[in-house]
Amino acid sequence: MRNKWVSGLLGVLVALLIGAFIMLLQGFNPLDVYAALFQFSLGGLSPLATTAKNAVPLVLTGLSASIAFASGPVNLGQPGQFLMGALFATVGGLYIHLPPVLEVTVLVLLAMLGGALWAGLAALLRMLFNMSEFIVTLMLNMVADFFTAWAIAGPFMDKTAFSPMTPQIDQAGWLPSIGNFNTTILFMLAAVGISWFVFNRWKAGYEWRLSGQNSLFARLGGCNIDRNFVAVMLFTGALAGLAGGLLVMAGPHRFLKGLGANYAWDGVMIAIVANNGLVATLLYGFFFSAIQTGALGMELITAVPSEISQVLQAVLVLVIVASREALAVILDRREARRRAKERAV
Amino acid sequence: MDDVIRLENIVKVYPPSVVAVDNVSVSFRKGEIHAVVGENGAGKSTLMKVLYGLVPRDGGEIYYQGRPVHFRQAGEAIAAGIGMVHQEILLIPEYTVWQNIVLGQEPTRFADQVDTGKARRLVRQKIDEFQFNLDPDALVGEISVAARQKVEILKLLYRNVSVLILDEPTAVLTPQEIPQLFAELGRLRDDGHTILFISHRLDEVLTLSDRVTVMRRGKKIDTVDAKTTSKEELARMMVGRDVVLTSQRREHAPGEVVFEVEHLSYKDGEGRQKLNDINLSVRAGEIVGVAGVEGNGQFELVNAVVGLIQPSTGSIRVQGKDITRAPILERRKLISFVPQDRGKMGASLNASILENAIMTHHSLNPKFSRWRGLLLDYAHARRFTDGLEKQFAVSMASKFNPFRSLSGGNQQKVILGRELLLDSVFVLLDQPTRGLDVGSIEYVHQQVLRMRDENRGVLLVSADLEELFLLADRIVVMHRGELVADKPVEQTSLEEVGYLMLEGRGAAQ
Amino acid sequence: MRILVGLINGMIAGATPILLAALGGAFTYYAGIFNIAMEGMMLAGAFGAVVGSYFLHSWVLGIVLSIAFALVLALIFILFSVVLHTDEFVTGIALNLFAVGATTYLMRQTFDVKGVFANAGIVPIPRLHIPLIEKIPFLGEVLSGQNLMVYIAVIAVIAVNFLIFRTRFGMRLRAAGYNAACLDSSGVSTARMRTAALLLCAVLCGLAGAFLSLGYVTLFAENMSAGRGWISLAAIILVSGNPTGIAVISLLFGFSDGLGLLLQDYRVPSQFTSMVPYVATLIALYFYSVKERKRKA
Repeated sequence: MRNKWVSGLLGVLVALLIGAFIMLLQGFNPLDVYAALFQFSLGGLSPLATTAKNAVPLVLTGLSASIAFASGPVNLGQPGQFLMGALFATVGGLYIHLPPVLEVTVLVLLAMLGGALWAGLAALLRMLFNMSEFIVTLMLNMVADFFTAWAIAGPFMDKTAFSPMTPQIDQAGWLPSIGNFNTTILFMLAAVGISWFVFNRWKAGYEWRLSGQNSLFARLGGCNIDRNFVAVMLFTGALAGLAGGLLVMAGPHRFLKGLGANYAWDGVMIAIVANNGLVATLLYGFFFSAIQTGALGMELITAVPSEISQVLQAVLVLVIVASREALAVILDRREARRRAKERAV
Repeated sequence: MDDVIRLENIVKVYPPSVVAVDNVSVSFRKGEIHAVVGENGAGKSTLMKVLYGLVPRDGGEIYYQGRPVHFRQAGEAIAAGIGMVHQEILLIPEYTVWQNIVLGQEPTRFADQVDTGKARRLVRQKIDEFQFNLDPDALVGEISVAARQKVEILKLLYRNVSVLILDEPTAVLTPQEIPQLFAELGRLRDDGHTILFISHRLDEVLTLSDRVTVMRRGKKIDTVDAKTTSKEELARMMVGRDVVLTSQRREHAPGEVVFEVEHLSYKDGEGRQKLNDINLSVRAGEIVGVAGVEGNGQFELVNAVVGLIQPSTGSIRVQGKDITRAPILERRKLISFVPQDRGKMGASLNASILENAIMTHHSLNPKFSRWRGLLLDYAHARRFTDGLEKQFAVSMASKFNPFRSLSGGNQQKVILGRELLLDSVFVLLDQPTRGLDVGSIEYVHQQVLRMRDENRGVLLVSADLEELFLLADRIVVMHRGELVADKPVEQTSLEEVGYLMLEGRGAAQ
Repeated sequence: MRILVGLINGMIAGATPILLAALGGAFTYYAGIFNIAMEGMMLAGAFGAVVGSYFLHSWVLGIVLSIAFALVLALIFILFSVVLHTDEFVTGIALNLFAVGATTYLMRQTFDVKGVFANAGIVPIPRLHIPLIEKIPFLGEVLSGQNLMVYIAVIAVIAVNFLIFRTRFGMRLRAAGYNAACLDSSGVSTARMRTAALLLCAVLCGLAGAFLSLGYVTLFAENMSAGRGWISLAAIILVSGNPTGIAVISLLFGFSDGLGLLLQDYRVPSQFTSMVPYVATLIALYFYSVKERKRKA
């Protein structure tokens, strides 16, 4: 267990060093850059609140990917499920008018429904025709992208706007803030908690995990692999959809073109770095949000383009994952050498 | 006779702490057949792999033809003239015999094209030279296991090796195919080649080899002349105590039928008839052994019983209940099943020991559920695993450790324990002692006999004929998907069963 | 007649990048590598092509640079996946993310624009007009006048087929995918074969990218590979890597692309027509899956 944290920390440090090297090549001062990143993400209550709020879509899509990968189904459809969840919540917010608590509840449920349905479509194709969900979810991402683009430029368009977007949703659906912190964070924490509980304490979660590790063994043990597959797809689709809905409700309060552009793929990336661990997903989600949030602020004062954060993220992913495996190998070899010395004549 | 290979003080440790080879020194002569024997885990395979360069050594020296050598890659050993044929045959089923043989040393034409004509010619030459009965254009995936082994040997001879290392060469052959292999190896020896072979089958070792080296727990015990030693002496050196090689079965009258298969047939996706009208039954208190060369339908039979495949016709009944189309969970209420591959089918190596132990129990036993069947009662799971550990004498550091941290023998104990605690009347065992050390094998045999005493019905599928004759009351033989014999064990013999396994019908009287 | 010619030309243009990338992926497929980085390599190639063409005023150098940029990605893949034994899936996804981030960032740094860089200074890859053939009434408009990269793609199909099925290199490459342990014990390094496969893949993906930014259109847009890498992956899986099969499937996908454009003339909203290639992939996958299921049952 100690190895997990050590290798993670080591990976982060090495990646930051590599990032610093890349910045030097570009003519920037890495210390300035990292200081600015820190300042604008964690240096104060307001930046912290922003980072936490931005972490929500990252953590939720990351959770979606983590649970899916750890249970077997290769659900790479978070981008599409995210968009459908956002669309469902937006449309609900435009046509359903209830008092705030009810409105928020309904919209949140709609968002989860949208994501679950979109993932469910892929699950259906797998169950009926054995079509690989790997490819189907990827294709459905593109379809969802175009579909929502049409929806916000067509039937749900705000006629007074200059670019494709919907009108704002009912104010009752806007997620309020408590001080600096937006309540969307509470939904994120609740989702993490519920997910952890289901995954680790429910019988279904036990079967999901074992099916993900060795589906043949789980099958022989009597687990209903098909039913579990569909359940996981729906559950993880709902999580990604929730991310989309919350983004609309806490952010621009409407569906704009380019909503949540990279969040969902970042979620997949976070799941990979976290090695599908749920708590690790939360932590890494927060960490990557810090980098992204900090980068936006950093751009204002240091003239370093915020896109560098994407490069830094990719480097982090590669290095953390590589170092995890490399560390395990190094430790094993050292132990083996020690034993061999004991035996040599 | 001079030594062509000399190993001195070889040490090999597998991370993190397994000492596979413990300071071993041994020499091999030119023009001899030398067997290296020991139980599973004794280190004989590892020693050969170290010699060959597949596995880096941690200490010691190797001398080949008088000079010190250090092979770091497989290619180096072959180039020097030493070749190894592994236990799991390492060929490419999608390629033909000649393609497999020339791979890595292909004759070429302009633009790096493979010179097909020349390659086939060269391969034909070698086949004829050593009188190996092979068709160069046959696909390796479609020839028999014995033929594949010959392709492996020929691949090395094509590269002009003078030392051949064979790892458990007879493990995949029937009793009838073995003499042919021995004849071929004898010819090679007479030609001046050196043959090293690893085995745990003492009869064969004594028949074939000139000298025998015995290993135990990574150490070399002794090297003896095959003519002057005996099976008992070798066994004693291998295990370190007098080994009982006879059956301990008690007299027992079987009860009612607990398992029945009628007219079971199965055709796979490519139209091949894998099971053809199988009729079989097992009674309470009886052990029925299924013998057969791998690939003759045993796997399909097991899969059909367990529910992984659907038969085309026929029925399967356990305790009178028809389970032919039942979902797997329904079958598990009545069947305890130990699959042949621990890692792939019997457990999840990365999950904890506890999580592996409770599988199936978690859905069948209401004591594992809380709150309307949604939650898993982990307190009960812990108690259950502790109970299993004690009852089956499993040696583990902590039940929360990953399953892979257990030794093979202990892994099998957990699996066996889990399955037996299901309390099913019918037990299906598929190669239950594969890959285990002698101590664990003895333990499993005891447990199997105990199942019989507890009046359970046992169907035991095994590739080890000796094991079947030790344990079973009745033996059935599978050949090309058919059941070609069903005899009480007293009325048959190892030779007869071996013949049936290969030919599918009895020998001419 | 006009429409048919237009449809066929559209099909060829749509098929070319997918064909090139899929041919590159065929090498890694046969070598036994789970390579999902074609999307990223294509994007890197597209960017490199524009950089080369704009600053060096030559489409030839644009192509050279497109291959170079794609090779950078391949080298990272090799470092992590082959040398450090990092999981190939993870490496591929990380590389795709890296490509998007790096090209977006570099576009901003180098050209000082966001979103799209279009400039008259970008030299596009020319079309090839074959003297006698272009006179043939109907065929001439299809066989001649295509972008140079299209002809390169056709040659590539033949070359890749030859390389994989006739040469010693190809025999060893496929062996690496069928049974890596066997190849290693035969004295040939699987790691080296896989490295070669990745480098070849990068070359072809670079060419695909160059066609995207210097042939199909003449600009670089953020994330302009637009999922084509995933479609080429689907293509490889559907035909089990066979180069001729890849050519046929790419034409089918290209056709769906062209069909999308045609449908626009019939008042179908552009977003739905853009979906056509992806839906077509799903349909193709359906047929493939049904066939596989029958075989396995």
